[in-house]
Amino acid sequence: MSITVIKPGFMSCVQDLGRWGFQQYGVPIGGAMDVISASIANRICGNEDRDALLECTLHGTEILFNKTTLFAIAGGGASATVNGQPISFYKLIKVVAGSTLKLHPDPFGCRSYVAFAGGLKIDAELGSASTYTQSSIGGYHGKNLDAGIVLELKHQIHHLEKSKDIVINEHGFGISNWKSKSFKLPHVQEITSINCLAGPEWDAFDEKSQHQLFNKTFTISAQSNRMGFRLEGPLLSLKEKTEMVSTAVTCGIIQVTNQGNPIVLMADAQTIGGYPRIGRICSDDISLLAQCRPGQKIVFKEVGGHDTN
Amino acid sequence: MPLRIYAIHDHAITIEFSQEISEDANMHVIEMQHAIESNPLKGFIECVPAYASLTVYFNDKISALDVRAQLMEFYASQSENVKSGTTKNNKQTTIIPVCYDPSLGFDLPWVSNHLNISEEEIISLHSSIAYRVFMIGFIPGFPYMGTLPQQLELPRKQTPSMKIPIGSVAIAGKQTGIYPAEVPGGWHVIGRTPLKMFDKTKEPCCFLKAGDLVHFKSISLEVFNQYS
Repeated sequence: MSITVIKPGFMSCVQDLGRWGFQQYGVPIGGAMDVISASIANRICGNEDRDALLECTLHGTEILFNKTTLFAIAGGGASATVNGQPISFYKLIKVVAGSTLKLHPDPFGCRSYVAFAGGLKIDAELGSASTYTQSSIGGYHGKNLDAGIVLELKHQIHHLEKSKDIVINEHGFGISNWKSKSFKLPHVQEITSINCLAGPEWDAFDEKSQHQLFNKTFTISAQSNRMGFRLEGPLLSLKEKTEMVSTAVTCGIIQVTNQGNPIVLMADAQTIGGYPRIGRICSDDISLLAQCRPGQKIVFKEVGGHDTN
Repeated sequence: MPLRIYAIHDHAITIEFSQEISEDANMHVIEMQHAIESNPLKGFIECVPAYASLTVYFNDKISALDVRAQLMEFYASQSENVKSGTTKNNKQTTIIPVCYDPSLGFDLPWVSNHLNISEEEIISLHSSIAYRVFMIGFIPGFPYMGTLPQQLELPRKQTPSMKIPIGSVAIAGKQTGIYPAEVPGGWHVIGRTPLKMFDKTKEPCCFLKAGDLVHFKSISLEVFNQYS
């Protein structure tokens, strides 16, 4: 059982729910940027949430199935075809050997997750299959995927109840009638609202900056990656210039550079940082933010009280 | 000590012992880490020690409020031990061989010039005392160690070097560190160790951990080259 990467597209890599337990040695958690979509894709396939799958950023990825395979896609950033025929996200799909999955441009979202029944067969490094390219840990030799790479799949789940109704059509694939009961999916809009709380150094920022964080529109900069999203918009400033003692940071933290640019830390965030933290994004909305591409406008919606002791 | 407890994530809480870098505050951090790891809370995932704070990651088996309460309890019961300094004296020192030859410690001549101290004196000062590993961060395996003898203090480079070789031993501010991978960096490189600071295939993957004491031992280029 295997798949072959024909084209990696904009960027494709192996991810799971992250590498836990090594942050004290400076190893980031990493894992899927949009944990919710990754978990949904796995669940549709009857996998564990933490099974290894593909994270495809935007479009261009092409995958060849070398054997009959059950798979599902969740997330956004692309539309999909199998053997040239459009297919839906959030469906369990069976393809015959030799079939091709392609991801095409789509105006909404940023990252799609392709899960395979049984999961990708990847040897865990430091407890996880997730790819951390900065230190060449996990995934396929610690790297993003390239054309020609073959990834093995774990043993398929043959008795997956919801796959039993699948009838293979003349195009070499079939879609299960199975439909999830209710989905509250991350939804990217023209201006996407992200739930946010005041961060640990909220009180150190001047009133104007505090007001701007929750009342102005920010744009995700092109200088954004799996480590963090740089935001364009009003510059934020401290009441008085202070050097902070470095302390732990993690995904969802909104830190502000000395120049006043906010950066939202994402999945591959370093474990420790020294910039003041004006806000932090509610965990569930980190998935929504992960579906925002460069150029996307966002506003931060304040929820709850100021949690700064 | 002005104690501060706050969330950095729905599932991570930081307890901050001080807003300055001090060996005392870091002892609190490590003592607390040991206390938590030897008697973990329900839902505990991992601890991340930093200079003067400890962050605890947990899952949804425990509420953030319960984590806060338990951290306060830990703090109350352990602060006496820290004050009496029992842990400080039980520490073993890790010896790290360093070759200070200018071919490896390529910033040594500049540092010597800038500080107006001879290269020999810099080497002798740098390897004269035991340093505390305050934390590991920046990249996997990078130890932040201190406190550097005052004579060796100097600011970071204005423009970071594009590539610092693996094993480079460097200084900046009141600190010294070791580059575990080839990365850009702004510290002044004064030597190189043949030891591997980070190896993803080893258990543990990191040669040092926060709270360790480190003593540098000067070795010749010949001895350095004998390590494969």
